[in-house]
Parts: sequence; structure tokens; C-alpha cells
Amino acid sequence: CLSAVLLLSLLSLGVSSQPITDGQRLFSIAVSRVQHLHLLAQRLFSDFESSLQTEEQRQLNKIFLQDFCNSDYIISPIDKHETQRSSVLKLLSISYRLVESWEFPSRSLSGGSAPRNQISPKLSELKTGILLLIKASEDGAELFPDSSALQLPPYGNYYQSLSADESLRRTYELLACFKKDMHKVETYLTVAKCRLSPEANCTL
Amino acid sequence: MMKKAVELVLLLLLLFFTPHIMGKRYSPPGKPTLTRCRSPEKETFTCWWEPGSDGGLPTTHALYYRKESSERVYECPDYHTAGENSCFFNKNDTSIWVNYNITVVATNTLGSAFSDPVDVDVVYIVKPNPPEKQTVTIMEDKGWPFLRVSWEPPQKADTRSGWITLIYELRVKLEEENEWEMHLAGHQKTFNIFSLRSGGKYLVEVRCKPDHGFWSEWSSTSYIKVPDYFHREKSVWILLTIFSAFIFLILTWLLHMNSRSLKNCILPPVPGPKIKGFDNQLLKNGKSDEIFSALMVSNFPPTTSSNYEDLLVEYLEVYVPVEQELMQEESKDLHGGCLKCERSTSDSDSGRGSCDSHTLLMDKCGETKEEGRHTDRASSRMLTEAQRHQKGWEKDTLTYAHGDMVSPDMSNGRVKTWPSVFSPLPQYSSNPLDKQSSLEMAKQHCLSTSSCLTQPGHSTKEALGPSNWDFCLGNKQPHLLHPQTQVGRQLQAHSEVNISNIGRKQAPAGLQSPALRSTEYVEVQRVNEEDLVLLQPVVSGCGRIEGYPQMPKGKDYSKVKGVDSDNMLLLQREVMEEDWCPGVDQEINGGTGNCYTSSTVNTTQKPTACIHTAMPVQGDMALAMNGYVDTATMCTLPTC
Repeated sequence: CLSAVLLLSLLSLGVSSQPITDGQRLFSIAVSRVQHLHLLAQRLFSDFESSLQTEEQRQLNKIFLQDFCNSDYIISPIDKHETQRSSVLKLLSISYRLVESWEFPSRSLSGGSAPRNQISPKLSELKTGILLLIKASEDGAELFPDSSALQLPPYGNYYQSLSADESLRRTYELLACFKKDMHKVETYLTVAKCRLSPEANCTL
Repeated sequence: MMKKAVELVLLLLLLFFTPHIMGKRYSPPGKPTLTRCRSPEKETFTCWWEPGSDGGLPTTHALYYRKESSERVYECPDYHTAGENSCFFNKNDTSIWVNYNITVVATNTLGSAFSDPVDVDVVYIVKPNPPEKQTVTIMEDKGWPFLRVSWEPPQKADTRSGWITLIYELRVKLEEENEWEMHLAGHQKTFNIFSLRSGGKYLVEVRCKPDHGFWSEWSSTSYIKVPDYFHREKSVWILLTIFSAFIFLILTWLLHMNSRSLKNCILPPVPGPKIKGFDNQLLKNGKSDEIFSALMVSNFPPTTSSNYEDLLVEYLEVYVPVEQELMQEESKDLHGGCLKCERSTSDSDSGRGSCDSHTLLMDKCGETKEEGRHTDRASSRMLTEAQRHQKGWEKDTLTYAHGDMVSPDMSNGRVKTWPSVFSPLPQYSSNPLDKQSSLEMAKQHCLSTSSCLTQPGHSTKEALGPSNWDFCLGNKQPHLLHPQTQVGRQLQAHSEVNISNIGRKQAPAGLQSPALRSTEYVEVQRVNEEDLVLLQPVVSGCGRIEGYPQMPKGKDYSKVKGVDSDNMLLLQREVMEEDWCPGVDQEINGGTGNCYTSSTVNTTQKPTACIHTAMPVQGDMALAMNGYVDTATMCTLPTC
């Protein structure tokens, strides 16, 4: 009886370990990619800030009070408690939507020559990776039909509606929002990854 | 009385007002400033501010904040947890990825002052606590110790759930040092430190940092002392020293034993001459006649040929049979002593070298051979001979200023290039301009000495491959008189000059012409109206010059430039081409009666006069048996 239980638990572990290890590998890849994107975003932002005059900087600080990121419509956990309360799937889907929301605007990210061009394809790759992760986990397929409808309207119009002299502010906001969103995705993915891995020190 | 009252009033007034004027003044508070905000674990955060002047009145500070995209203003929930002038935001009040706009207000009875607002995003202000539970232990790896440092992340930081990712860094130093050695440990919580000094005392500290945030403070120091393992090192050194000393002794002993053979190996002795029939001792004794008599061949050179019409050939057929002849030719030397060489087959160590040896005297030159019959075309051989001859001259206390002549690789007997004619005279520099003068000089010398060295001309790649011979007539020409030096020298110079001239020009051509003229020795016997010139060396011991009377092919050697008293004729050849023919091309092959000098010679030569050619072969040994001249083809000296 005991041995049967033991056997069963071992078997279940064995069975479940395979997708977990695969998922872990995918997670690791996704996490590293989003980390890289976040670093890129940070660099862009700091470059942009350093290129500003101090007067402009002060103005921008004031302006940024009216935060408006294009991804604000995506409801995402904003503290640890909420994050840990969310399921892996929810975290993944939120990450997916965040990444997707930046696919288009990232092309207009100013700030240096090369990084801008790399960001959009990297985002696409990351999006694909997250999709894989979603599909790998259970109940993955259900979430998708409705999410695709939400993408286009908000940001597309928003950034084009601003006038020319506000381009500086727009760039600043764009970069700041991008940086923040990337960090969000990074955190969610890391938490999700750690949630899936059995060992305690999952951040290794 | 009135005055006193007024004074009193004034005094009172003063007393009343001075505190106001000179004493404390109350004012609204100064502007406070937010110094920093920090979050230790990305769940809570604290902000500190610096108050401004309080204006003399009790001032209170309040912190107000706004979250992004919301106009509602909140006040700091906790002013005390974090200490003085601080505000602590607990978990419930902290939102990540939300921009906080924080302002501090200082208020007193007279007014209030607002600080500059500060935007804070908790994510970017994380500074964790230092790592905890740090341990350092000594472990051994194959006898060599190392330190193992391990630690735990700060308690508050939630790395387990992945909420925070930390990287660690540690630093080590010896107690007496000032510089810390930094090591980045990444995500891991243990680290090994190697290369320890035995008996040293080490200090270790660790700190951590979230992936986007600030470094924590250094943890508390851990001390560790490394045990001694010095004795083990010492014994190794002792062994090593003894071993090396032993080896050194052995080597010295070996060297001593084999010193002689080593010396032979490194500094081999110079080989002496090995000529068949040549007796070193005899030479040392100084009787040259006896020496060379031993080397002489009775029949050589053939002087009995009465029918020198045979010798009068329109052209010389020259073909290079094979190595043998080459070797044979190479062995020939202009000196009499070289005759032996001619016969001797190539000797591995002394073949031509012996011929080149300085022991051969100039005036013991071998008889010149008739050249017509020789079908050896190896001009290189001739060159070699010439060189040997020259060297023989050299023996005669000639000082050679080695021009920049092409240095022939005579080493192996094949003079590929024009022999590096050592210009015996200093003025025989490599200057081509000197050529003419030098040639003239040489000519003089030749004339004076009446023994000429016919140098094998070096044929070029021309199909004809003539070897050009320089030879000078050993006739003294009054108008050509120049300061006479030693016979040999003059001749040498002349020949050398010629050679040099030729060679210089020819050298770049890569004188490797296969179709070289045979080393043919021509002996000028007599003169006839047919422009047969008999050249006699003035001084015995020089090579005889034999020349052909005339180049049938348009070469006009019939002009006699002059005759000296000793029946030495100086023939002058008409200048056919613009350039001088360094040698008379005896090889009448194909009938190009021009100077079959190297094409390069032709092209590069400056237009100079013709060269005198000593011509045709004579059979008789009119000339004394001196150094013979190899005249396969004779080159005329440019004297025109």
C-alpha cells in the first residue's frame, strides 16, 4: 500500500518532470530574452535622458505626471501579493499581451541607431516564445481568441495624435513605458518560472 | 525730570524692540529636500528627507504623494518606523511599476515650504540588505588549500519565488594588505578562492544587488587563517636545487671530455689543398719550379699543331656534354698549378677549391689550352677558371677591392654569375662609369704584362650562349700606358675589369646560360696578314691569351691597335654595335658574329669602344708556359 503510493508518486513525478524540464528550459530562454530587452530599454532611456538639456529634463519630469502608457489598459498585478496570487497562465497571458502591445510602437522608438531596429524582431521572438509556454501549460488555448481583438486601437492613435513639439515628451514617455513594461514581463516570467520549478532556489 | 522720562521711554522701547531687531526672527520654514528613497525587497520602501531651516519656530513635516494617473493625494502612512525625517510605505501602500510623485512639506506657524517633487518607481530604487549567514571554511584540493565562502541572501528579499533576482560579489584581502580582491559570484551562493598564501590571514566580505538596482552594503567581515604548507614547498625547492646541480656537474664533465671533438664540430679546421701531384712540403720549401713541374703535363698545352687552320674555325661549336666536362673544366685553372685540377675529377672537398687556393702562384699559370676544340659550353666553368685564375693572381699580393661585382657562387664550382671579379685596383669600383677607365687600365696591365687572363665570358640566356672572354693583350702600348703594376695584377685587373664589366651587366640577367662556351684555350701564336694575331704574354707566368684572328661573322678583329716590343699585339675590334662587346664571341654558332655577350650585356652596356680581342688559336707554344688563358670566346676589351 505504502509502496504503491510511493510508486505512484514517483511515476507522477517522472511523467510530469518531462514537460516541466522542457517548460523550464523555455522559461529560462524567455526570461533571458526579456532581460536583455529590459536592458536595452534601460539603455535607450538613459541615453535619451542624458541627451536632454537640464531644462528639458525638468519639464519632462513634470509632464510625466500624467502617465499614460499604451499598455495601461492591460490590467496587470502591481505588487508581489497580486503577482503571486495570479496563476502562471494569467501571468503568461499578461506578458504575452504586454509584449504584443509593443511590437508596433517599438519601431518608432528613437534613441541611437542600432538598438531600435533590433527591438521589434526581438519582441516578436519573445512573443512566440511566450505563446509556446502558454500552449505548453494547461488550458492555454482558451485564452487566445479574445485577446487578439484588443490590440490595435489604443496606442496607434495615441501617439499619432500628438503634435510635433510634443515629440520630445512622446519619446520620453515611450521609452519610459517601454522600460517599465519590459521589467514587468521580466518579473512575471521569472515568477512563473519559479512557480513551476520544484526546487527552492529557482533564481539560480 | 522730563529728560529722564524720555530716556526711560526710549530705553524701554529699545529693550522692547531689540529682540525683534537683533534677536531671533521667525520665518516660514526653509525648503526641505527629499534625499533618497529605498526599497530593500521591492515590496516596501522608505523615503528620507532633509529639512530646511526651521525658521526658528517648531516645524512639522509632512509627506504627500500621488500615484501615477491619479489625482488623489495621500499622506505618508508611517513616519516613525524608519526613523527621523522618513516615511515608510508598507506593503499595502506600495505598488510596483507605479510612479509615485512625492513631496515633502515643512510647516510652521509662519508658513510652509514645499520641496521639489520626486518621482519614484519602486522597481528602480531597490537596494537590498547585505547577505547573511556568511561562512568561510578552508578546504583542500590535492594538498593545496583553498577558501570556500558561502552565504545566504538577505532575509527580506524573496528570491525563492523569483520576485527578486540577486547577484553577489565578494572581496578578499590579506590582513596586512590594502587592496581588496574582488570576485563576482553571479547568482550562486558559494565561492572558492584559490592561490592562498600559506599562513596568511584573510578577510572576506560579500554584498548583493538585484538585477536592476543598487548594491547592498558589504556584509560583516569574516576572518580566516590559512594553515602553513610552507615546508612542502621548501622541500621541493631543495630537491630541485640538488638535482639541477647534479645535472650541471654531469654536463660539465661531458663537455670536458668531449672538448676536442666539440671544437672540431663547431670550428672545423680549414682544409688544405689537395691536388694530385702537389706536394705541400715542397711548396712550403719555396721552390716553385719543382712544385709545378710535378703538376705539369708534358703534352699540354698542345703546341705542335702546325695546322692551325684547324684551329681557325669560323665558329666554335660549343655544347655542353654533361657534368663531366663541366667538372673537368671547372677543375682547370689558369695557373699552371691548376692544370692538375683540370685533370682531376671533381674532388669532393678540394676539387676546385684547391685550384682556388692561394698557394698557386700567378706566374705558374698553366698553359693555355687551345680552345677551339673544346666543346664545353659551360661558361660557368670558364668563369670558375677565370676566377681561379684570378685568385691565383690574388695570391700574388694583389689587393683586391672587391667591387660590387656579382659574387659568383663559386662555392660549388659553378659560377653561375659572372665571377665576382675582385677589382684589384681600388678604383675598380662597381661604378660602370669606371669601366672604361678601368678597362683601359686593365688593358694597360694586360699590355704590360702580356699575359692576359681570358675570362670566360658569361653567356647569358642567349641562344648562342656565348661565353665572353675577356682577355687583354699583353702588349704594352705606349699610348695606353698607365702606371704599371704588377703583371699579374694588371692582367688580373684587366681581366677582372672585363669580367666585372661583363659580369656586371650580365649578372642581372641571371647568368645561368646553359649554352656556354666551352672553355677553350686559345693561344695566340703568330700574326699574319689574315689578321691572325699572335699574342704573347709579356711576362711569363701569365696566362697566354689566345685569340682568334678574326670573327668571321662580321666581327672585325683585324684592326691592330698596337704592338708592343714583345710582339704583343693589341687587336682592336670594330665596334659593331653600340655597346661594347665584352668578349669576343668565338662561338660562331649561327654566324652571329657579334659579341655574343649576354643580351643583357648588350643592352645594358654603354656604348663603348670595341674590345680588343686577342684572337686565334695558335698551336705553338710560343708563349711561355704561363698562366693560360681560357678563351672560349674572347671578349674584346672595351678600349675603343
